[in-house]
Amino acid sequence: MTMTRTQPGKDARLVEARPIQQLRHVLNTALRGKPEVIEYVLACLLARGHILLEDKPGLGKTTLAKALAAAVGGRFARVQCTPDLLPGDITGFSVFNQKTREFEFQPGPVFADVLLADEINRTTPRTQSALLEAMAERQVTVDNVRHPLSETFFVLATQNPIEHHGTYPLPEAQLDRFAMKLSIGYPDRQSQRELLATAVGGGAFHPEVTATILHPGQLYQLQQQVAGIFVAPAVQDYLIDLGEQTRIHPRITLGLSPRGLLIWQRVAQAWAFLKGRPFVTPDDVQAVAEPILAVRLGVEAAPAAVICEILSAVAVPLYPK
Amino acid sequence: MAPDGTRALRAATFVLMAIAHVAVEVSSNPAGLLSWFGVSFGICLFATAMLVSRYVPFSANQPHLPRWATLVLALLLIAPLGLEPLLRRVTGNGQPLELQMVSGVRVLGVGLAALARWAPCLQLAGVVSLFLLLFVVAMGAQTPIPWLLAAYTVVGSLWLMLAYSSRVRFTAASETTPGMATAVERVRLRFPAWEMTILVLLTVAALCLTVIGPKRVTIALAEMMPTSGGTGKTDPFARYGIGDGPEEVAGDNARAAGMVETDMMIEDNKNALLDAINDMYGPPHRPPQKLQRMVAGGIAEIIKMHGKLPQSARPSRDFDTSRKGPKSDKKLDSHKARGVIEVEGRTPLHVRLVAYESYDPDTASWIEGHKPASRLIEAEGGDWMRLMQPKASVGWYAKDERHRLKVADLKTNLVPTPTLLTRFRIQRVDRPDYYEWNYDGVLALAGRTSTPPGVVVSTECRTLDPSRLPASAIAAVGTSGDSALLLDEVPDALHRQIAQIARNWAGDRPRGWPQIEAVLNTLRSEYTLDRAATAPPDHPAPVVWFLVESRRGPDYLFATAAALLLRALDYPTRVCLGYYAAPEAYDPKTAHTPVRTTDLHTWPEVLLCDRQWLVIEPTPGYEVLGPRLPWSERAWLAVQWLGLWAWRHSVALTIAVLAAVVITWKRHGILDWLLVWLWRLFPGRSWREVVLGCLWILERRHRRQRRCRPSHQTLAAWVASLNGGASEDRELAELVWLGEWAAYGPDLPTSLAPAEIRTHCQRVLQTWTLSRLNQPTRRGRVA
Repeated sequence: MTMTRTQPGKDARLVEARPIQQLRHVLNTALRGKPEVIEYVLACLLARGHILLEDKPGLGKTTLAKALAAAVGGRFARVQCTPDLLPGDITGFSVFNQKTREFEFQPGPVFADVLLADEINRTTPRTQSALLEAMAERQVTVDNVRHPLSETFFVLATQNPIEHHGTYPLPEAQLDRFAMKLSIGYPDRQSQRELLATAVGGGAFHPEVTATILHPGQLYQLQQQVAGIFVAPAVQDYLIDLGEQTRIHPRITLGLSPRGLLIWQRVAQAWAFLKGRPFVTPDDVQAVAEPILAVRLGVEAAPAAVICEILSAVAVPLYPK
Repeated sequence: MAPDGTRALRAATFVLMAIAHVAVEVSSNPAGLLSWFGVSFGICLFATAMLVSRYVPFSANQPHLPRWATLVLALLLIAPLGLEPLLRRVTGNGQPLELQMVSGVRVLGVGLAALARWAPCLQLAGVVSLFLLLFVVAMGAQTPIPWLLAAYTVVGSLWLMLAYSSRVRFTAASETTPGMATAVERVRLRFPAWEMTILVLLTVAALCLTVIGPKRVTIALAEMMPTSGGTGKTDPFARYGIGDGPEEVAGDNARAAGMVETDMMIEDNKNALLDAINDMYGPPHRPPQKLQRMVAGGIAEIIKMHGKLPQSARPSRDFDTSRKGPKSDKKLDSHKARGVIEVEGRTPLHVRLVAYESYDPDTASWIEGHKPASRLIEAEGGDWMRLMQPKASVGWYAKDERHRLKVADLKTNLVPTPTLLTRFRIQRVDRPDYYEWNYDGVLALAGRTSTPPGVVVSTECRTLDPSRLPASAIAAVGTSGDSALLLDEVPDALHRQIAQIARNWAGDRPRGWPQIEAVLNTLRSEYTLDRAATAPPDHPAPVVWFLVESRRGPDYLFATAAALLLRALDYPTRVCLGYYAAPEAYDPKTAHTPVRTTDLHTWPEVLLCDRQWLVIEPTPGYEVLGPRLPWSERAWLAVQWLGLWAWRHSVALTIAVLAAVVITWKRHGILDWLLVWLWRLFPGRSWREVVLGCLWILERRHRRQRRCRPSHQTLAAWVASLNGGASEDRELAELVWLGEWAAYGPDLPTSLAPAEIRTHCQRVLQTWTLSRLNQPTRRGRVA
């Protein structure tokens, strides 16, 4: 006798979230051979988090961002961060209208649905700080006037880890506002072959990459659905234990903040959603632990090993105490 | 984890434990001396511990104590309790319960010292040694104890300094060596809620058991308090304490009431202290006109005599303030003693009352012996009296045997003593002229009509093995040295017949013990003890009737027959009447053997050449006190007893052993079967408990295969590791899905019924059985 359900571990309502599958397909087409990165990006998008892509040049960071922006169907803005970039160039600024004799606010690129901050570490900390409020509260305040951003505002920042001249490392406050830090890495041989084959003749253009998958407001609905994913108290205790473990670990100088804990839970919910499960398990928590902790923990070297130690030090709850 | 450089600290721990070991040994002995057994045992113990400490496998990567070491330590703790019955069987001696427990702690401490490479063991060993020293200080007052305490203080201070310096060294090394800090394990401190709960529950259970449990349990628990010294009611080897032992205590214990050696024996009609109290708090006490009793002297008198106040006379003795006045004139003897004498010491024991020397054939009765002319008693120190031996002590005697005979209700002035007496003492009756001989070997109080109840007679007597006696040890007729003795007299009317029987029984055996033994063996083996059998009234010679016709009779006929037969063989023999303390009557609760009036017995005695009377036993069922057996023979007897016991209970023992073997062999399967049945009977109140219970059993089965789930691993990851990349098992995958839902999920989807879940869990348990997991051929699939 087999239990009457559609598929082990999958919830019927969630399995039918077809836009997610389409979105996954489009992003996998744009960035070949990196399905795990795509999953993280999707989880981050659904969890209303922001992503910091840290990798070498030419690995597809911008391509991924543009494909994502096109797929979610929102406004896309790109900021090439340079040392002479000013905060107003991001948030926008007020100009005096000669006709109306009033100052009018000219919104900056931050008012897009998907903002690509390319080479974010090349701009000054002053300009970097312009994103603090936008990323955390989804609003900007200019001349004491609050300007709300899109509900699906999503920042995808990139930075180059190998160049240090003329760069300004992101402060901890800025890092803590990112949900996760990802490295794309080089694609495998097969993916590179496909990439080359696609480029022959027709160039790099692929119609699927620019397709809009989600209707207006649909992303927000999905994000609300993710926020409603059930998290058992035992799993929340597990999250808290992990957070406390980051604060007492000898090799970590800055432990997990409560904001980081909230983001971790939200991303774990999104991960469970992507897996078609209506509740969060410790597997989800562990699966997203590395990109989430890597961006915000003060680890001098080998963060992956430290995160592995943290996960190994906390018992997974299974049986009721 | 113990750092390197703790060798000196571990050595100091051994020294601490050695001092504590010696101190406990000293305090266990009232004289403050070390027994050879304790010394040799201690040497063996410490030598073994040092070897273990040297060669025990220790890895710095394994900071926790191995499980086997924990098991060994637990066994060491309870080993003395388990070995005590066997030691009691072999040695005949034992330890009180609190000393057994202390022995367990002592051995545990040595075991901890042996495992001192692990820091918790090192610290626990120090604590155990301190506990032992505190126990010794609280319990013992022997002379060496202050010296041992001083030595412990010195070594303990050194131990503390070494412990501190090793910690400082380790910290300094951590700070100066790069990367060492990473080795520091941060342990999150927590309140030991579980441990405290268990401790509180155990305490409450002990209190409940004490208050509402059986009285025996209450007494046993009370005996675990070292200061109580034990009541002796449940353990014959419980130590003396306040209100116990030779000191005064109320109750029917033979070791207590009335048997007070610290009191003086006086004879007067004046009111005693008890009478004065009766006068004050109740109706006046009217003592009988003539009273012999033991009364406590005044405190000043006691201090003068003893130097310091005895325990029983200290002002702190309890006095019941709720005492009510006696309703009637209670007599002191209102509680009747259970016997005439209480014997403390090894039995069987023959206590002479009357010695008979000549036999009258006309009346068929024995005539009492004569009273010795000389006292043959001289005083020694400490109230001891020594019997003057007419000849030098000969070499066939074994080590002297000590007894304490406590007079409970003797109607005569007899001083009860064993045979072959060498020394005796009644405290404060310290002059030879206080004693006299009623008969040869029968001691009595001179000038008194009866021996007061409560007198304690301490004695030392000789023992010997008659089979090792040389032929010359038996006195020959006419060498008794006293012309009045008629120890070889056999009536003429009986002489021919008796002599014929004696010669037939003795055969051609050499003179001496072989002939005597032949006579005794014949009587013991071919004749029957029958107390109701009596000779016909018209029979001229009852002893002949016994020997020739009936071949059964009471013990006096056995004694008479043996005496006349041996006299016919020219051995000086007499017959004695007295009390026989039978080993079967030994009361382990009081550690005494009561002798009742029904224990009157008649036996013959043969005169030895040193003028000692050797007790012989022709009566079946009666034995003579022999020498204490050496260790080897006692051990051999114990082994024989054990073998005999095993043979008698061979069926039950075989079944028990087989059952134990089968249970041990199949323990995992049996336990698993029990768990599954428990799960089936009590699956839980909700579907979540059903699933989690099933998962727990499944996880436990894999633990047996060392594939248990690490605590940090999730359920899905664990099951995936079991599959080892093989194709996913559908049943397991569904169970994982159910388990995750049960552990972390919201309410169950309506598409699933609890009955269906339970059926699925049962199917998984039936599929993934222990035997399937044990099969190596399938390991590739499951691992």
